[in-house]
Amino acid sequence: MAELKISPFRRTRELKTQIDEMLDVVSQAALAYKHGISQYIRRGWDESVEEKCDLVSQCESRGDKLRSSIGQSMYTEMLLPDTSGDVLGLLGSLDRLLDDLEHCLNVVRIEQPEVPPEYHDDWIECADNAAEAVEAVVLAARSYFRDPIAARDHIHKIHFYEKSTQTIALRLIERIFKSDLPLDRKMLLRGHVWLVDRLADKADNAGDALAIYAVKRSV
Amino acid sequence: MELTFIVFLSSGLFLGWSLGANDAANVFGTAVGTRMLRFYTAAGVCAVFVVLGAVVSGAGASHGLGQLGSINALGGSFTVALAAAITVYGMTKLGLPVSTTQAIVGGIIGWNLFSATPTDTTALSKIVGTWVACPILGALFAFVLYRLMQKLIHVTKPHLLWLDQGTRIGLVLAGALGAYSLGANNIANVVGVFVPASTLEDMSLGLFTLSGQQRLFLLGGLAVAVGAFFSRRVMMTVGNSIVTVGPVGGWVVVVAHSMVLFVFASQSLQALITNIGLPAIPLVPVSSSQAVVGAVCGLALSHGLKGARQIKWSVLRNIALGWVATPAIAALISYIALYFVQNVFEQPVYYAVVAG
Repeated sequence: MAELKISPFRRTRELKTQIDEMLDVVSQAALAYKHGISQYIRRGWDESVEEKCDLVSQCESRGDKLRSSIGQSMYTEMLLPDTSGDVLGLLGSLDRLLDDLEHCLNVVRIEQPEVPPEYHDDWIECADNAAEAVEAVVLAARSYFRDPIAARDHIHKIHFYEKSTQTIALRLIERIFKSDLPLDRKMLLRGHVWLVDRLADKADNAGDALAIYAVKRSV
Repeated sequence: MELTFIVFLSSGLFLGWSLGANDAANVFGTAVGTRMLRFYTAAGVCAVFVVLGAVVSGAGASHGLGQLGSINALGGSFTVALAAAITVYGMTKLGLPVSTTQAIVGGIIGWNLFSATPTDTTALSKIVGTWVACPILGALFAFVLYRLMQKLIHVTKPHLLWLDQGTRIGLVLAGALGAYSLGANNIANVVGVFVPASTLEDMSLGLFTLSGQQRLFLLGGLAVAVGAFFSRRVMMTVGNSIVTVGPVGGWVVVVAHSMVLFVFASQSLQALITNIGLPAIPLVPVSSSQAVVGAVCGLALSHGLKGARQIKWSVLRNIALGWVATPAIAALISYIALYFVQNVFEQPVYYAVVAG
């Protein structure tokens, strides 16, 4: 049966679908990043990592389109008049996370740093924690839309993963600089570790903003 | 319909327009103030339901107002309505939510004083009692409703967008109910003073017949409906000035306000309460402004001390000042205008009633 075009619920349903898709896209990109880095560290840049990199790029493009479309709908249809600023702020944070995920993988694709085997485990763990922080942001954002009080349960996880990423990143950089590697390699590897740490930082910033949005919704 | 009657009714229609320009804000102010509804959607819904309420259920409260003073000359009705209209218009121009009930009561008392008719103190005390009961009831309803809504939202956890959609639909429905109640309860303020002197007869429209009183209420209702389209400024005052109200809070305010008006307009509810042995609720026109201000305060208080601190007491003080000033100003204008109409324009403003 053809959809009733004048349904008052159509716009709301479409917008909800778009917001859900935006959250799915970020979650998918975080997973692709996590697997992409893990595979790159173990096997180097191959077809499978290339696929993950392409997937993250597609997610980033889709995220841009969704963010712009959601923003336009909210303003033209006067939806969520009291929380539209917060929702758009949240979508902006999610979009920046997508940008960072894409940027991290693109830099790896271009520079293809050789990571010595003794750093593999720490490196993978560091990237895993950063990806977990992003996923926790997605879970907290989902909670924000339904149950703002429950969003806090996910926000503290974001802080936890960010802290873990930072600890591992610092340890890794320390070990790299204590090694006998040439200085140019040390600096290249350090740059890549910082990129992972920055991703977790951005997730943490998104978590901080989300905590305020959730409090505003729950009072 | 006599031309003279139309000319005299013009002041009632002006009062109706003022009531629409002011009281439509009580029904839809929070919805428009929180940008949940567009102004013209709100004014349109308000216009339709105000007319329906006036024509279908306007008789009860009109009878209650008639007890205060039965103005028996068209010239008197015209002048009293004009005095009330000038008072309401002036205070609306200042952006203050003003009570049309208090303006018309002031006008009638002015007529009673001028015509040396004793004021029915029982009827007056009933009406004045609602001035106190209205904001308290409004606050109580809003407080309970908001707490219930909070619990409901906490249990059902609707998606933010569905909550927004539900609130919008709820605001339109509650606003329609509020506009209907406003028409039913407040039409007495607009044309109630013309009922005893009205010359309108019954009119058959095929499927149904409009009584003379209903025709009068229809005209008054249409004037209120037109006035609703001029209420944007007061809507913003009610929506934002007293306290910051969110969309769900806005819905609560509209429902609480509608409930207060319903309580003082419904003959069925009155019968039900009397049947279970409780004292009867007087059916008199009540101030929707007082109901809405009370509801907004009740909403703020439901947030505890933090909410109470958020109330902008200076705006409340101005509104309370208006409550005292409205009947006094209307009575004074009414008295002076009656003198002019009688002595300068040589129109009868009352007929002496022979006792017994």
